[in-house]
Amino acid sequence: MTTDEPLLRVRGLKVGFPTSDGLVKASDAIDLTIRTGETLALLGETGSGKTVLGMAILRLLQPNTRIEGEILYRGRDLLSLPEREMQKVRGREIAVVLQNSGTSFNPVLRVGDQIAEAITLHRGLKGPDAEAAAVDLLDRVRIADPARMAREYPHRFSGGMRERALIALALACNPSFLIADEPTRGLDAVTRREILSLFSEINRDRSVLFITHDIEAAATLAARVAVMYAGEIVEIGPVDAVLSSPVHPYTRGLLGSLPERGMRPIPGSAPSLIAPPAGCRFSPRCTFAVGRCEKEHPGLVEVGPGHYARCMLYD
Amino acid sequence: MRSFGVTPHARSSIRVWRWVTVSGHNVALYLSLGVILVYCAIALFAPVIAPFDPFAMSGSPLAPPDATHLLGTNDLAQDIFSRLIWGTRATLILGFLGAAVSVVMDTIIGIVAGYYGGRVDEVVMRFVDVMMTIPAFPLLLVVTIFFRPGIYVTAVIMGLFGGLNGVRIIRSQVLTLAVSDFVVGTKALGAGDGYIMGRHILPNILPLVGVKFVTSAQHFMLVGIGLGFLGIGDQNLVDWGQMIERASQNGGIILGLWWWLIPPGLAVTVISLALAWFAYAWEERINPRFQVMRV
Amino acid sequence: MRLAYVLRRLLYSALAFGISVTIMFAILHFMPGDYITQYLEAIYTIAPPEVVEAYNHAYGLDRPLIEQYFSYLIGVLQGDWGYSLSYSRPVLDVVCEKLVWTLVLLLPATVLSAIVGIVIGAYSGWKRGSKADIALLNGMIFLRAIPSYWLALVILIIFAFYLGFFPLGGYVSLSALDTGIDPLDVMSHAALPIFTLFLFSVTGIYYLMRNSMLMTAGEDYIVTARSKGLDDPAILWRHAVRNAMLPTVTMIAFQCARMLAGSIFVETVFSWPGLGMLTYEAIEVRDFPLLQGILLIDTLFVIVANIGADMIYPFIDPRVEVGS
Repeated sequence: MTTDEPLLRVRGLKVGFPTSDGLVKASDAIDLTIRTGETLALLGETGSGKTVLGMAILRLLQPNTRIEGEILYRGRDLLSLPEREMQKVRGREIAVVLQNSGTSFNPVLRVGDQIAEAITLHRGLKGPDAEAAAVDLLDRVRIADPARMAREYPHRFSGGMRERALIALALACNPSFLIADEPTRGLDAVTRREILSLFSEINRDRSVLFITHDIEAAATLAARVAVMYAGEIVEIGPVDAVLSSPVHPYTRGLLGSLPERGMRPIPGSAPSLIAPPAGCRFSPRCTFAVGRCEKEHPGLVEVGPGHYARCMLYD
Repeated sequence: MRSFGVTPHARSSIRVWRWVTVSGHNVALYLSLGVILVYCAIALFAPVIAPFDPFAMSGSPLAPPDATHLLGTNDLAQDIFSRLIWGTRATLILGFLGAAVSVVMDTIIGIVAGYYGGRVDEVVMRFVDVMMTIPAFPLLLVVTIFFRPGIYVTAVIMGLFGGLNGVRIIRSQVLTLAVSDFVVGTKALGAGDGYIMGRHILPNILPLVGVKFVTSAQHFMLVGIGLGFLGIGDQNLVDWGQMIERASQNGGIILGLWWWLIPPGLAVTVISLALAWFAYAWEERINPRFQVMRV
Repeated sequence: MRLAYVLRRLLYSALAFGISVTIMFAILHFMPGDYITQYLEAIYTIAPPEVVEAYNHAYGLDRPLIEQYFSYLIGVLQGDWGYSLSYSRPVLDVVCEKLVWTLVLLLPATVLSAIVGIVIGAYSGWKRGSKADIALLNGMIFLRAIPSYWLALVILIIFAFYLGFFPLGGYVSLSALDTGIDPLDVMSHAALPIFTLFLFSVTGIYYLMRNSMLMTAGEDYIVTARSKGLDDPAILWRHAVRNAMLPTVTMIAFQCARMLAGSIFVETVFSWPGLGMLTYEAIEVRDFPLLQGILLIDTLFVIVANIGADMIYPFIDPRVEVGS
């Protein structure tokens, strides 16, 4: 169920980290929209900038990060909000399932208390009411014996249970928009499938930004897919279009590297984000590169209905 | 461990701080080093700098500061300023010699324990734990009053008793080094343990050892002067601790003789501070705590 | 499970105590010089050989060393810690009596320095690089550089002598002769020494807490807390402090032991009749048995403090099970 007005619109987002070696341009001129109830998968390797993008939306990056551009949520630019207003957005309107569930819970506090904290903060429930709500959430993410587990500490949870608990935490206040950062990383195949099925069920009417390197998960859950490389979006479009008939050479290489499809790795390695190549950032590794590719920087070009790619070959 | 969304205070102050600290650390480093060198020079050239013999009666007792006696005289009519100058020697000897002994001991134990690991490490560290329950300072007091050693022996005993604090830090560093690639590689080439410990491990922990030396020096200076304060120091040398004690016992407080009481304490505090700052600035340099950005 | 751990810990501590005692005994008895002679000379300025011999015999010092060692060891375990030369009372009695007074200073100082050290260390580490942090850090470095005896003197001079807020020394005023010991009076006498010990000890806890907070602040669960929409103070005081506090427990025990050594100076300056002052007096008169007893109590104190820290730790860190 989608409406026409996008819930989230990212315009020209640039994120840079000042380091002693120079400014690391983790994200460069990102444009993105997500509609209500839509799941967008963000695919890419480590270092492509996908996690940074997710964190930037909630302004969870380090204070000395340079951020430019606009992040419009329901029409309001999140980047221009004062911190106090942003705190009202976090957890309540937009929530995030962080990348590493093993270290994302505070080890000295009980899991139930950590979930109840969010509930008390945004939903106004106190004490036993908040605790009961937390238990209820743990139950909804299919954790067995939720009342007992709520009183346990994080180190008592298995990997899969921790992931579910993290999801429960994110959904505690029923946010309209969820950012999930690699929720299936490091899980075994069975648990992975369970988490994915839980995910699709629990986020039926929610907008989701699903950050992952797991192509299969993207195929299962997402309506649209965006592929990131070296801090840029190189291809974006409906999931079937992008994954079945990829256009950008990188996407094709990515899919070609899957075990089922031949496991051919892409030669070379990702470029430095401090001094990225002048033209197309993928050109050094691209088998189809022509002279133009190294000199001109390609923009996103429409290659199909709602399907865009950043490649000279289609310009 | 990622590193997003942390120390959440204003952007500009971190940027300003970074700039200030980079040069601020250099300022602290060089300033404190300068102070330390000045003290060393004073100690070395004491006979030349001091106007009077520190033990000679050179005026009337308890006289306030004037042109000849810059800091007045004490109850024995000795020139306080000269005694202050000469006292530098005792302080530095106690600090540096004690630190040297202590650091050598710590380093040897730390390297052996860290390098061999396993059972050796366990046994050694347990021994260290037991040794650390012995109250070093009271034991030091008892030994020095009965031994009545001169200043050099006192410094050595101080180092022996008061060491063992740095063992853990050195050991943990050596533990990491011992399993690092280049050490394992050198072992594979047939190098002996002693060779590896001396030629490979030691140079890599020298910065750590250096910092420990400086902090130990600060510690032993204070302890050594403390001995003087309790009346245990070497009576043949001028000792700031003795000066403070004499000043407080013989009317320094009641009579308000600040020129007798304050300078020795101030002198100790300044060198102590210089050493502390130097150690801190140096440690910040060799131990970057800035976190790595992982995207 | 727990009981086995506690027993093992106690056994290990007893062993450590035994080894410490042995080492101290060895050091003290292999020193040159005869302490009876020294004692007599310190008090009476002469030490006629017959008197020395009589003392030696009375104190069993003419027996073989091994025999002395074992009888001493057994005596210690039974509560016979020797006889003080200067007090003419059993060492254990004297030591315990004075220990109480030292604890009057030590315990409040420990609690205060722990609380203050943790709070400002946490704030400093959290706001790393801010003006407050730099000021606090430099202030603490400065404070730590000041020798404790000089600090005590300066505090005495400023607050007691010039400002007259607090008494100059002792633990009670002369009026106690008439009215008996008044707790408030004792407290006003204890205020400055406690304050001095507090300053002495707070720096270590601050520094450790600050470092601990620097590491904690970068942890993932702090990001989680922020992502929930919590504001800065909530994240700092409800989350970060709890985690960063863990290493300070051991440090607090360490500082407590360190304060015991520092009390030698502080008590002497403030004329506070505790263990520290006793040490100073015993040194003056070369009362060797008493000194030996003081060393014993110091060792015991350190051991107990360490056990205390070990026992507390599992209660504050849920990841640690008692016995690990």
